[in-house]
Amino acid sequence: MPKPPPQWIVTANFTADGAVAYFRADQSFSTLLSEAAVFVTKDAAEAAVQIALANEHLVADPYLTEVAVAPQGLDALTARERIRSQGPTVRVRRPDPITASR
Amino acid sequence: MYQYDEYDQRIVAERTKQFQGQVERRLSGEIKELEFKPIRLQNGLYMQLHAYMLRVAIPYGTLSAKQLHMLAHIARKYDKSYGHFTTRQNIQYNWPALEDVPKILEDLASVEMHAIQTSGNCIRNITSDHFAGVAPDELEDPRPWGELMRQWSTFHPEFAALPRKFKIAISATPGLDRAAVQFHDIGVRLVENALGERGFEILAGGGMGRTPHLGPVIGQFVAKQDLLSYLEAILRVYNTYGRRDNIFKARIKILVHALGVEEFRARVEEEWAFIKDGPLKLTQAEIDRVLAQFAPPAYETLPPANALLDSFRLGKDRDLARFVTNNVARHKQPGYAAVIISLKEKDTPPGDMTDHQMDRMAELSERFGFGEIRVTHTQNLVLPDVKAAAVPALFAELQKLGLASANANKVTDIIACPGLDYCALANARSIPIALEIMQRFEDIDYQNDLGEINVKISGCINACGHHHVGHIGILGIDKQGEEFYQLMLGGSAGHDASIGQILGRAFPRDQIVGAVEKVLTRYLEIRSSLEERLIDVVRRVGLAPFKEALFGPPPARTAQELAHADH
Repeated sequence: MPKPPPQWIVTANFTADGAVAYFRADQSFSTLLSEAAVFVTKDAAEAAVQIALANEHLVADPYLTEVAVAPQGLDALTARERIRSQGPTVRVRRPDPITASR
Repeated sequence: MYQYDEYDQRIVAERTKQFQGQVERRLSGEIKELEFKPIRLQNGLYMQLHAYMLRVAIPYGTLSAKQLHMLAHIARKYDKSYGHFTTRQNIQYNWPALEDVPKILEDLASVEMHAIQTSGNCIRNITSDHFAGVAPDELEDPRPWGELMRQWSTFHPEFAALPRKFKIAISATPGLDRAAVQFHDIGVRLVENALGERGFEILAGGGMGRTPHLGPVIGQFVAKQDLLSYLEAILRVYNTYGRRDNIFKARIKILVHALGVEEFRARVEEEWAFIKDGPLKLTQAEIDRVLAQFAPPAYETLPPANALLDSFRLGKDRDLARFVTNNVARHKQPGYAAVIISLKEKDTPPGDMTDHQMDRMAELSERFGFGEIRVTHTQNLVLPDVKAAAVPALFAELQKLGLASANANKVTDIIACPGLDYCALANARSIPIALEIMQRFEDIDYQNDLGEINVKISGCINACGHHHVGHIGILGIDKQGEEFYQLMLGGSAGHDASIGQILGRAFPRDQIVGAVEKVLTRYLEIRSSLEERLIDVVRRVGLAPFKEALFGPPPARTAQELAHADH
């Protein structure tokens, strides 16, 4: 089967608490991978990184990463990005309330 | 233990206030991450995968009850009710909000603690033997010398921007090493020469990470009053000649091995000649001032502990017997013992402790000792001054807290870095591997049958989990975005230090613990006696039997290969 064309999202960490941040289509930031804007060209994704860099009071160290668009939503393609999107895979002593979008 | 004077208190308070302003400017957008990063790192604040992480220094691993209560308070108020004790005798908080960090630093300063120089290219927390001051086999307590080094290195203006980070450890027990001194940028051994004089043997250029090296001896015997000037000379040579063009070649170990030991030593001696008799020469008054802070506590006169501890080991309470056998160490003071509190409970990441456990442990340190707690580089705690007669009562209290695992130095007493669950540098997870090993080998009788085995797991080549020096070492690697693990055998951080060797191809996540089990099974099959430890067997027979257990017999050699070998 031919490999699907690559698609990208832009991610960073929130400045206030370091939480994982995803760039939304409206140029705001979400904690949820499912709300990330998907870019079909690398140039568009890199332009979004520049927008994120201009919002450094909100987020830090933005970068782009590839994703797969699956029927159930976006899939991170590496172990690192899967763990970033879902949180630690081991028990955290006092977990947050159910993660809410911000 | 050392107490801050007015000067110490003032500089820590000023530093906290300064950082508060920097945080405010970062949150307002006045300064950008690129500018803020070196500032936050100088204050021990990292950005990890999901949150900031604050690393707090615990000098030479010694805490007071008051300090441990404060660490509990910080975990409860600003984090998720736990802290993580590390292989450098620090504690890390994994979830602080940026705006809270200055408040945390204020709280730390109120109990004479800080996070200064727990990151960045500077001299980090000075570490030491966790039994320092109570070990019957040590020459003397190494911590006063650790404290002198801490005071010398804190805010040292010349060494605030070294080529790379710099770690120093000190030990004072001849023929034993509980501080891994051979794997530090500088290792300091308190020794006695043929004349009965005490001084220091100084090693430099040890380390783990990408290129592990055992540190060679640079200074054979440095007099006590010359300790700081000799260290200063080493740091000056490193600061001058260490590489700054390549982060992977910037540690002192690369310089020492590039120059050769003789040339490196010659440059140190040359530098030392200029400064030896300068202001860094320690006066007896200064040494005495610091020694007084570490005076032994008011021990009672008691009969020797051995018979009593033996009676516990042989008693009907088998849980207590196992605990005393594995977790209770001899003490220099008759009637007392040092007790290892394992932070390797099933289902709990190695080194993690809740706020509740910290508070109760602080109380136990006062009830069963003199209000002092030690943090070990193996991610456990020690209560250093427990009356032998009180060990059963302490054990009962530890059981209530879920801190009574009798697994010190056993296969489940695992060192593991935070790995890819938390760390931005990691390639693979460490904690789930540790938890699976703990679960699979939880039968304490099986662990006792295996004997002393150190398992050390790192999630990347930086080796925070000390995988190079594990009897069994596990290194997480990345293969096309997925987690794999290399298995190695034969490492040791002790006086008989050695670097582990890789057994073969890396294992996927779901096979690595099975591979460890095969190694253990083969070890039990081929050990020559119950006393022969895994590390001894590896040194006796090499890796071949273990490779065969993992990968099958080696392929038969062709006639051509055999003929070539004959040549």
